[in-house]
Amino acid sequence: MASRLIYPLYQMGNPQLRIFRPPFFLTLVRPGKEQPPDVVQFRIPMVMTKFDVRNYVEKIYNVPVGAVRTRIQYGTNKKRNHLNQKVKRPDYKVAYVQLAQQQTFEFPDIFPKKDVKSAEGSVEEMQEKFMEDEEQRQKPDPRRGGVTEWFGL
Amino acid sequence: MAATSAGRVLTLCRQFQNAFRISTTLSAQQSTVTLTKGRSYPHRLPSTLLSSSWSCNLDLAVQCRPLHTTISRRGLEEFFDIPENWGEATVKSGAPWTAKQLRTKSNEDLHKLWYVLLKEKNMLLTIEQESKRQGQQMPSPERLKKIDRSIRRLDTVVKERENALRLLQTGQERARPGDWRKDVFGRIYWYRFREHALPWYMNRRYKRKRFYTPAFVAPHLRLRLEKYLRAKTRKQKKESENQAVLKEKFPQMQAKSQ
Repeated sequence: MASRLIYPLYQMGNPQLRIFRPPFFLTLVRPGKEQPPDVVQFRIPMVMTKFDVRNYVEKIYNVPVGAVRTRIQYGTNKKRNHLNQKVKRPDYKVAYVQLAQQQTFEFPDIFPKKDVKSAEGSVEEMQEKFMEDEEQRQKPDPRRGGVTEWFGL
Repeated sequence: MAATSAGRVLTLCRQFQNAFRISTTLSAQQSTVTLTKGRSYPHRLPSTLLSSSWSCNLDLAVQCRPLHTTISRRGLEEFFDIPENWGEATVKSGAPWTAKQLRTKSNEDLHKLWYVLLKEKNMLLTIEQESKRQGQQMPSPERLKKIDRSIRRLDTVVKERENALRLLQTGQERARPGDWRKDVFGRIYWYRFREHALPWYMNRRYKRKRFYTPAFVAPHLRLRLEKYLRAKTRKQKKESENQAVLKEKFPQMQAKSQ
């Protein structure tokens, strides 16, 4: 099954609907507001329900799920582009998944600062050296003890 | 969905075979970040964007029994890249799966690959959203396009197989039944059926749809027909005039066959 699914009609007594190869993708997001330590925040497709999210996370990621709460975030239609036309930001559904078995989740820092050492003899290394020399030249005379040139002598 | 664990075992087996046979394989296409760095803990499945590794090692897989390792239980860590890639400007990734490569795979393999691709796409979407949040550039955004293409091609291959099976077993050309119907504007289109709980004569919303052309639409149909005929004549005239001009310039030219 893939996009443009049409599900069979469900009537009482029908077998449970199963989807092979679900075309739904979850995005783990950093919470905007402070959340309890066991809560994980996802952006999910509009068509998914709480039960879908629970089954998805449990079966595909093997993570025990306690409770799931969802809400729909309205995307603004107020902004206007250079032609003064209204531009709509898409709506999306947010799911707050509470983990079971007293597990906690802390959103990690994915962009830590790394010291980048440029390769020897490359353009970047020469540029960096040049910048360092320039900065050294711009520094005031250390013999003046922090006093600016404005004061004569 | 229980097959994912088996799928991980299978791909891990293949990776172990990869690690042992790295000298014999092409280094350019197959060396990913994980293999070159040679890490110990169960790593990202690099076979998402590789295919030649599977096909190369299939014959060798018969010789050595698959090694059973513990299933990676990384849970929510699978939404992020491996920690070594955090903060990098670019992350190496292979080529996307082509339909030709996917057609050689069995149904079980495709099913498992779907979930591998799904998890990879989830990871990339997470990184993209976080990069927007932090105001940083996402490392190697072309991975998203590659994954999208792989998923679409997988879907195409599975659809082809389903089509073929259905044609052989039942002779039906389409999975979803439908019919040629006229809409209110007199146009004929393929209407695809939906499942309803009631018969059509009891379905009020369905009856409002009107699969016939009312009588007052006839003038509009006439005008549309005239417009179409006018456009057609114009095109033919233009073509013949063009041919006449060319014939004058180049008398030996053969007339264009229709």
